[in-house]
Amino acid sequence: MKQIQKKIFLKKYRINDLICRCQILKLLTLFSLIIGLTSCSDFVEVEPPKNLLISETVFSDPATVESALANIFYKIREQGSMVSGRSGMTTLMGIYSDELDYYGFDTNSNELFHHNVTASNAVLLSWWNNAYNLIYATNDIIGGVENSNALNAENKARYKGQALFVRAYIHSLLTNLYGDIPYITSTNYSENNSVARLPVAEVYEHVISDLTSAVDLLENINVTGERVLPSQDTALALLSRIYLYVQNWEMAESTATQLIGKHSLEPNISKVFLKESSETLWQLKPGDSPKNTHEANQFIIQAIPGQQFALTDSLLDAFEPGDLRLNNWIGTASNIDGTVTLYFPYKYKAYITESQSLEYSIVFRLAEQYLIRAEARAHLENISGAQNDLNRIRNRAGLSNTMANSMNDLLEAIIQERRVELFAEHGQRWFDLKRTGNAGSILSLVKPNWQETDVLFPIPESELEINPNLLPQNLGY
Amino acid sequence: MKNTQTIRYRSLIFLLLLLYGFTAIAQTKANTKIPNDEDQHRIEGVVTDSQGVPIEGVHVLIKNSRSGTFTNRDGTYMISAHPTDVLTFSYIGFQVEERRVGDLSSIDVQLKEAVTDLGAVTVNAGYYTVSEKERTGNISRITAKDIELQPVNNPLGAIQGYMPGVNIVQSTGLPGGGYNIQIRGKNFINGSTEPLYIIDGVPFSSQSLGSYDVSGQILAGNISPLNAINPGDIKSIEVLKDADATAIYGSRGANGVVLITTKKGKIGRTRINVNISNTIGRVSNFLELMNTEQYLEVRREGVINDGFGPFLDDSAYDFFWPDIKSWDNNRYTDWQKELIGGTAYRNNAQLAVSGGSSQTQFLISGAYQKETTVFPGDANYKKATVHNKLNHQSADNRFKINLSTIYTDEKNQLPRTDFTFSAYTLEPNAPKLYDDEGNINWENNTWDNPIASLEEDYQVEINSLIVNAGISYMLFPNLEFKTSLGYNTYSLESYKTLPSSARNPQLGFTPKNNSSITTNNSKRQSWIAEPQLNWNKEWNKTKINILMGATFQRETTQQFVQKGTGFPNNNLIFNLSAAEILEVLQDADSEYSYQAFFGRFNFSWDSKYILNLTGRRDGSSRFGPGKQFGNFGAVGLAWLFSKEAIFSGSSILSFGKLRASYGTTGSDNIGDYKFLDTYNITGFDYDGITILEPTGIFNPLFGWEENQKFEVALELGFFNDRLFLNTSWYRNRSSNQLIGIPLTATTGFSELTGNFDATVENTGFEVDLQVINLQTKNFNWTTTFNITVPRNKLIKFDDLETSTYANRLIIGEPITIVKLYNALGIDPDTGIYQFEDYNADGNIRSPEDKQWVEDFTPKFYGGLRNTLSYKNLTLDFFFQFKKQKAFNNLRWRTTPGLRGNRPVSLLDRWQQQGDTNPYQRASGGLSPSVGPSDFNQSESNAAVSDASFIRLRNISLNYQVPSINNNLEVNVYLQGQNLLTFTDYEGPDPEQPSSIVLPPLKNITLGLQVVF
Repeated sequence: MKQIQKKIFLKKYRINDLICRCQILKLLTLFSLIIGLTSCSDFVEVEPPKNLLISETVFSDPATVESALANIFYKIREQGSMVSGRSGMTTLMGIYSDELDYYGFDTNSNELFHHNVTASNAVLLSWWNNAYNLIYATNDIIGGVENSNALNAENKARYKGQALFVRAYIHSLLTNLYGDIPYITSTNYSENNSVARLPVAEVYEHVISDLTSAVDLLENINVTGERVLPSQDTALALLSRIYLYVQNWEMAESTATQLIGKHSLEPNISKVFLKESSETLWQLKPGDSPKNTHEANQFIIQAIPGQQFALTDSLLDAFEPGDLRLNNWIGTASNIDGTVTLYFPYKYKAYITESQSLEYSIVFRLAEQYLIRAEARAHLENISGAQNDLNRIRNRAGLSNTMANSMNDLLEAIIQERRVELFAEHGQRWFDLKRTGNAGSILSLVKPNWQETDVLFPIPESELEINPNLLPQNLGY
Repeated sequence: MKNTQTIRYRSLIFLLLLLYGFTAIAQTKANTKIPNDEDQHRIEGVVTDSQGVPIEGVHVLIKNSRSGTFTNRDGTYMISAHPTDVLTFSYIGFQVEERRVGDLSSIDVQLKEAVTDLGAVTVNAGYYTVSEKERTGNISRITAKDIELQPVNNPLGAIQGYMPGVNIVQSTGLPGGGYNIQIRGKNFINGSTEPLYIIDGVPFSSQSLGSYDVSGQILAGNISPLNAINPGDIKSIEVLKDADATAIYGSRGANGVVLITTKKGKIGRTRINVNISNTIGRVSNFLELMNTEQYLEVRREGVINDGFGPFLDDSAYDFFWPDIKSWDNNRYTDWQKELIGGTAYRNNAQLAVSGGSSQTQFLISGAYQKETTVFPGDANYKKATVHNKLNHQSADNRFKINLSTIYTDEKNQLPRTDFTFSAYTLEPNAPKLYDDEGNINWENNTWDNPIASLEEDYQVEINSLIVNAGISYMLFPNLEFKTSLGYNTYSLESYKTLPSSARNPQLGFTPKNNSSITTNNSKRQSWIAEPQLNWNKEWNKTKINILMGATFQRETTQQFVQKGTGFPNNNLIFNLSAAEILEVLQDADSEYSYQAFFGRFNFSWDSKYILNLTGRRDGSSRFGPGKQFGNFGAVGLAWLFSKEAIFSGSSILSFGKLRASYGTTGSDNIGDYKFLDTYNITGFDYDGITILEPTGIFNPLFGWEENQKFEVALELGFFNDRLFLNTSWYRNRSSNQLIGIPLTATTGFSELTGNFDATVENTGFEVDLQVINLQTKNFNWTTTFNITVPRNKLIKFDDLETSTYANRLIIGEPITIVKLYNALGIDPDTGIYQFEDYNADGNIRSPEDKQWVEDFTPKFYGGLRNTLSYKNLTLDFFFQFKKQKAFNNLRWRTTPGLRGNRPVSLLDRWQQQGDTNPYQRASGGLSPSVGPSDFNQSESNAAVSDASFIRLRNISLNYQVPSINNNLEVNVYLQGQNLLTFTDYEGPDPEQPSSIVLPPLKNITLGLQVVF
């Protein structure tokens, strides 16, 4: 058929050496017809590139969902996250409160240290951005897992539970730092782009509800291995902390009790921060570089000058004589001629030069649960129960039983104990000062620029520019 | 089913192509059979120029036929013709002459130089060419003659300032960097201003493949692929600006089109052209900074002002201010001289061989360039280019083929970071760079030695290949079939090393725990095929030209960035297999497919009334399903009123044309795959599980951006075109803005690409004036002048107040505005900067109090050029001018006393109550009130000042050595770039107002060109 057509064509053109205009037009028409017909849209449809996966594909296989979850834990561990990394709460809330002195030259850190924080502070912006980026990731997983037909019920519960826990955790940190914040539960960008802020109390209601769901979903879900993924116990640990923050003493006590019943304290104080420590509830596994924690690399002073952070005199003074933690968890360094000696947090000892992986960065550990329960019991006027819990922590540190026996004395003793037990851990000291209302009276002594509005950070300026519904700015900024 | 159909259509095309081939052979055969007419007789003659010098390669053609010949080296020709025939004599740069044959057997012709004759100048409009006189669109042009006067490395450097409506800024003074270009303003709120580049018919992606991970700190990641084109190989650059000229490029024409045509061989004997030049370059302007005494004075004053004076005497705190206490207080180093005060050398050599017969012409050219920097160390940039061009036409002129190849190898070795910022900010008493043993001096760990950057290598090697083939066949006397085929590859390999030896040894870093290398291997490949049919017809006074064609283009891009950390020793750092940890930072590929059909209909009556219709239907893979196709088109009109009877006798007005054009173009310049919601493999892992990161939000509903262009222009030639004035007014409106809409972080992402119902208008007035002031036998003087008055305005933006742009844009203002605080000087009581509290809430806060609007778009810009020649000596000087504002020194330093050097002007500070000096009180950075005001001042209108300038962009002196014989031509030239600048700008350089990037250098070049 084609052959014949071709011949006819050829014949026609050989015969007609003199071509009339109408034939040119015919040819033009043919030409345009042919290129017109090939204009099917196939040509402009391309395959997605090898480094991208369409969302739908991700939730069709447990392995890729686990990869999407791994992204969350990786980001929590690395730079830019407020939980860990090189500019996390452990260091920066330490210098913002009375735990650490700052010696570096970074403008953003100095703003925090000197309490002249501006709304354009890059660290606070990065915390905010990274937090909501993580929250988007959790929401995409929650939605994707719910709509997936390819996952079994157990996997669905596991993934959704872990994602819910992270969503609650990140929101709880944000509200504690920034006050009223939006609580994001969807991936719909048009809604989230003009979202308004919720009062702190409502944020905590959402946090508790998400955590309760997570606890239910993670029931009987076995999170094996080195406790590097959040389990039901991790969700419980956060839940008891949140109950303490919202002053729900009964629930705080009962939730902490669930954990204390299942786990035991690491008896040897020098082994608390090793990766095998029995009291760890959730820890972040380091990557290839460093093979150990960011905390060790930031805190261990190699040379003076050159130090970034050192413990404040007031924190050092807070330790009672004979406290094992003073020798075990605190290191010292001096300059060449010995005129300057500085002290640094030495809970994590494996420096960047250590080629073995010995320590993981612990996010939740059991000691905090004893202190939460002690505080809840004190408020519930269970004096002996509170004393018992407090003494478990004191005795392990080589200290005698507490002398406090009234509710107020006990509460004071517990805050003091929290200060020396939980120092340089995720800014616990700052949050304690803030929730007990003592931030002003204590920090105004060491921070000359202290203002009452410093209890909250400013919402990043760029956010207010884009979404006016986030206005007004927090007071003082 | 669809697939088999596609195959069928494709085989049909193939069949058609085959047919063309057959008919071609048939036609050729038929032609050769035509017997010699007995009426014909032989004509001989010599063609010379006005000086009587024979011209070689003049095209002698029998009018309205295809038979013709070319003159020989001695200007002679021989042709057979009928007595009724008319011979035309044409040669580039000369007016066409016609002679009736009659019974003459010898016709000698003297051609007139076409200096002022526009008719002979043909302009490349991309798919077609058009005579300068009859064009309906706005096309600016620069040719080799003018490009060669300028010692530049990048084609864009050569057109800087020469063309109205084209605003070009060199982004760095370092070799191998890029240029920013805007043709008729910024059209898209968030989009790029990059035009479409076409090199010898092949689209060339100008998008840098540099990785920020590797070159972020040295060339700002911007490595211009256009560096691959050696300016010495360029024959002409045309910039298409209005709808009439750009609509045929459809979706890619919105930002204008830049056409680069390379040189080709000329008919005649084989010529060898050798061009050697040497250039020296230096930083054109240094800042006046504080000396040690002044610096330490304000430093101490600052610490005391902050209330920490007593600590200055306590040696326990010495580490806190090493510049005041630990370092030598009498030491002084001019860091600008030390770090950016060197001389950059550039050596250029080019050898070209060209020639050919009337049927086949060739050109082979090789060029080599080496350029060093003004930095310490031996950083340098090397470039080798090979350019070949082959043109062939069959004896009957019906079949034509041309092949062009450009291959370039670039190697750029630079320090990892630009030293410019260090040069402006290092303390004047900072320690010496090297200790007595020649090691990097860390001064007991009290500073970051900038010279350590030299230990860290940055290198980029780029290979570019651009191949283009054009095949055309005259099917019938008026119908030409043409196919343009192009292929180009661009590969970039770069690395950055961070050896532990570049770090302070006290930090305890070893090769094993710290040394690292980051590499970037990227490649882009693209092919294009453009079959076209072109039909021409003339009846009496009517001329019609129809062009139809199709484009198929596919482009693939790959980028692979990896990082190796931990090496047994620093010598093994280049061996990635020796790395302890290997991370893949980026492993991406993308594919872009583009398909289009285009056409042109041109109608001309009596060369007086001209109508030009162009259109294009475009499809692009960058858009979601159902949104891939778009239609674009334009209409252009011209009226050559000087041809009307009333002007026919005019001795003053020699040329007059009124033209107008209107049409739409679009832009798909937004990156690939933006419509998908995707997860990306980042190359990291957690607990052994590979990470998948969400990277985009699904948004299939976006389409083309639209750009409507309107232009009216008046072209006037006076006194036999000795004075030529070209004025145009344009209005471009861009709507359906396809932008990355900034999102709040609460969405999880920072932006989303979508169409926005906003309209941006660019209007402007362009004037181009060419005057031949004097034209005598020995002395010639010409002047050209151009000026552009642009205006950018946001005319529509629905719901701007509630949009994400509420605090960035204002309706009625340019889209390039910045909002700033209004600085009110200092408070004489406290010595602190004050600002206007717009909302009167007692606080100075952003965005509420940033209500002062400044715009950095130039108010007007242009150039003035004079060319004077006396006998063999030619002097050419070109001034570029620009009226604009820019951030000044206060953008980066507003408070005296902080650590780091500052401009000496900051000494004029508040010192005691009642002072009203312009700068606030000194501070050591320890006072809470100074921090915010320091920052706010840099975000205020005080940090903006006039940055207008007049710059002697180019000056060149060329001497053509009187030749011993006709076959030898020797030119000696001296060229200068940026030698003089007149400006009141308070900053390093008004053209490129940044304090972290090396400004454009001033250069002097001495060169020699020999042709034999």
